[in-house]
Amino acid sequence: MTPIPPPEDETLRHHSFDGIQEFDKRLPNWWLMTLYGAILFWVGYWAYFQWFHVGLDGPQAVTREMTKIEAARLAAAPTTDNASLWKMSRNPVIVEAGRTTFNTLCASCHTEKLTGAIGPNLVDHLWIHGGTPTEIYATLEKGVLAKGMPAWVPVIGAKKSAEAVAYILSFHQEGEPIEVQAAWIPQAPK
Amino acid sequence: MSDQKITIEFNDKVVRQFLLASVIWGAVGMVVGTLIAAQLNYWQVNFNLPWLTFGRLRPLHTNAVIFAFVGNMMFAGIYYSTQRLVKARLASDFLSQLHFWGWQLIIVAAAITLPLGFSRGKEYAELIWPIDIAVTLIWVVFAVNFFWTLAKRREPSLYVAIWFYIATIITVAMLYIVNHLSIPTSLLHSYPVFGGVQDALVQWWYGHNAVAFFLTTPILGVMYYFLPKAAERPVYSYRLSVIHFWSLVFVYIWAGPHHLLNSALPGWLQNLGMTFSLMLWAPSWGGMLNGLLTLRGAWDKLRTDPVLKFFAAAVTFYGMCTFEGPLLSIKSVNALGHYTDWIIGHVHGGTLGWNGFMAAGMIYWLLPRLWSRPLHSVSLANLHFWLGTVGILLYVGAMWTSGITQGVMLNATTENGTLLAYPNFLDTLNTIRPMMLMRVIGGSLYLVGWFLLIYNLWKTIATAQPVNGTIEVFADEGVIAHEDKITLLGTFLNPPVAFSIFGVGFSCAWMFGGDILSIAGMFGLLLCVVLAYAHFESRGKKWATWYDRLLVNSAPFTILVVIAVAVGGLVQIIPTVLVNRAANLEDRRQLPYTPLELAGRDIFVSEGCYNCHSQMIRTLVPDVLRYGDYSRLGESIYDHPFQWGSKRTGPDLARVGSKYPNIWHLRHMEDPRAISVGSNMPNYPWLFTSPTDVAALPGKIVVQRQLGVPYPAWTDAQITADVNQQARAIVEDLKTAGGMIAPDKQIVALIAYLQKLGKYETVAPPSRAAR
Repeated sequence: MTPIPPPEDETLRHHSFDGIQEFDKRLPNWWLMTLYGAILFWVGYWAYFQWFHVGLDGPQAVTREMTKIEAARLAAAPTTDNASLWKMSRNPVIVEAGRTTFNTLCASCHTEKLTGAIGPNLVDHLWIHGGTPTEIYATLEKGVLAKGMPAWVPVIGAKKSAEAVAYILSFHQEGEPIEVQAAWIPQAPK
Repeated sequence: MSDQKITIEFNDKVVRQFLLASVIWGAVGMVVGTLIAAQLNYWQVNFNLPWLTFGRLRPLHTNAVIFAFVGNMMFAGIYYSTQRLVKARLASDFLSQLHFWGWQLIIVAAAITLPLGFSRGKEYAELIWPIDIAVTLIWVVFAVNFFWTLAKRREPSLYVAIWFYIATIITVAMLYIVNHLSIPTSLLHSYPVFGGVQDALVQWWYGHNAVAFFLTTPILGVMYYFLPKAAERPVYSYRLSVIHFWSLVFVYIWAGPHHLLNSALPGWLQNLGMTFSLMLWAPSWGGMLNGLLTLRGAWDKLRTDPVLKFFAAAVTFYGMCTFEGPLLSIKSVNALGHYTDWIIGHVHGGTLGWNGFMAAGMIYWLLPRLWSRPLHSVSLANLHFWLGTVGILLYVGAMWTSGITQGVMLNATTENGTLLAYPNFLDTLNTIRPMMLMRVIGGSLYLVGWFLLIYNLWKTIATAQPVNGTIEVFADEGVIAHEDKITLLGTFLNPPVAFSIFGVGFSCAWMFGGDILSIAGMFGLLLCVVLAYAHFESRGKKWATWYDRLLVNSAPFTILVVIAVAVGGLVQIIPTVLVNRAANLEDRRQLPYTPLELAGRDIFVSEGCYNCHSQMIRTLVPDVLRYGDYSRLGESIYDHPFQWGSKRTGPDLARVGSKYPNIWHLRHMEDPRAISVGSNMPNYPWLFTSPTDVAALPGKIVVQRQLGVPYPAWTDAQITADVNQQARAIVEDLKTAGGMIAPDKQIVALIAYLQKLGKYETVAPPSRAAR
């Protein structure tokens, strides 16, 4: 759509500015198509999202996605009452999975033998934040941020957390004494 | 026409001054850039000194390279070319000198205040209010000097470079003034009048178009003069100049919201930002084509002439960046690239490649013409070119790799998408460290190239005489024929302008009208396009004739530019500013800061924390998994300035309040690595010794009340009592956890602020908000 026919293409405009001359070449077709294509895209995109409201806006889309994720989490989450966690702690498959998680994430502070270094000993009968299965799970859930213990459940998920608790419990017996410890004095890891 | 000829001597002195200033400030800006790049890898080079920390130096770097380096280069190019293109000496020697010295004084003031922590907390708009006023006044001096020169021109018709200069002067003034509207609380501090989403929108309308009208349009004007001059070839296509100029200045303004994609910004604004960014691709490439294709027939000169090498590479980088920009504006691409180093790579392709190389080419071309001596060494200039090119490629390549890597890691999920694959932010940071080191190397190469330019320049001009250009003109040359004059009415009553106005009007009716108005707008738009096409096909000559006439009428031309650049901002900003605040809330309202928290927030802003930490959880699953529920508009409604941020070198802070105990923050600010192993955040020891400025709080709260933040009418004593009470509570809590600090220290106020982030009250959802 150019008003001046192509034969004039190679001619210079009559005027020059400080010696600068100008051709008046046709606009390249691919360039025009890019321009028109982008304009058509704008019309289509606007119609899809803002005119007919077919497309979801950001909050709607993320709410839908997060609802799905919540459902998946609930379906996959293990029960974490005392009885179930004790039961899990006697299942070798679960304990082995828990051992892997523990050695990757927890052992740097609690050591692979669970005897404690930076973080407290987990195989004795002394507990700072409670020693029942649900209490141990709660410590993983909330963390002890002031002492450097992260909240692990939101990070690694309920399943892996429960497995790790089961692994800790596998060093203990149901009904053994639980004594309260005031604090743990951090020691350098051996 | 009389035969009497007179000789005009151009004012090239001010051109030389601006050129030298650009070279020197360019070096300063690049040295600071290299330092802060190194700080990201080696926290030790923050030196534990407040005025050398990243958060304060990054604004110095950006302001120095934009306003000092490119600014001075632009003024040199505009003043040199304009005098020759309009055949007139600059209107006023006094205004020219005032412009030069005023601008340098502003830069010095910025270079002192920014490291001292005086900041408005908005990117590229950090300078405190007295300097803002000085910038505005000096810009007016520039504008008067420029338009006065146009008025005295002996060349009636305006060349395409001049169109771009006019657009620059008008638009920068508009953007700068609106985005810097503030209410002072003291000589050195103010709060922006806009808050929350309004401030975000205005900021990125400004920020995006500062790139457009400070770093792009003036440099395109410079290209249109210096490139054909150096190549000694005609410009490729005049009609491409016309189309790409008008589409560029009109479309650019609308694209600002692409900096806020997937954020709490209302969806219609995000959709405008994305679609207009895509429409910007072709207009931008119009400039690249006209630059590159002008070199047709001169490619052989590239082998020997460093000037043309620089220009050809600069225009190529311009094309690359203006393709990358629309690409990054696509929401799904943006979800990956935003907040990462990809954006840093994108802007440095523009600044180092396009701005820096245009500057170098222009300087090498000008030196022999402004001083009576050929360039000292062509081979050194060639070496500069290759060092610079390799430097940019290393830099940009590293940042692409880094940004995409970190983006992919941050967004990666596991366990069927229910958990983050890399929950520890530091894992992603430490993965990209080699790339960040590569950036330092690339940037250093570029800097070495710049020092070669300085050496070459010095050897060329040290013993040379400055020369001023002259031109011979007829005494009465350039009088505009009466029949060519366009009246105010004639400015609008002509086919191109009338069709454009109707087209934009119908488009807006379609986009924003109700059901019936939308349909009417769509039909009107279609009709308008068909009629315009038909008219152009049958009477296209009239359009061309009218445009030729417009080009000899600088005032009507300027009026049309003002309208073209104003429309986008008006459509986007006015509804957002005017709507009832309740409509901007969604379902949550931020709890106003207590006086101590407000003081802490001012420290957060002053230290430039926003340079690395966002406060905006996007409506994206990985963001929600990592940082919590997505941010609502109402949750930053009282934030003057907004602190949504644009880069996450560290994690988002929108919901950091109550996430960690007070002692965590105390230890972390003292030595981030004691808490977060592998962190690159600077230490902030001075926050533990400097007192909080409680005396300034009553004045600040008065201004906050004026801005609509619901503070009660406290007395000064009540404010002090409130501060003391909250500070003591925090100090007590810290003491029980083993941290000793006096309640009057800045760290206490900062902890109070950080613990408030993300606190809101629930409000009834608003009725369907008006757009």
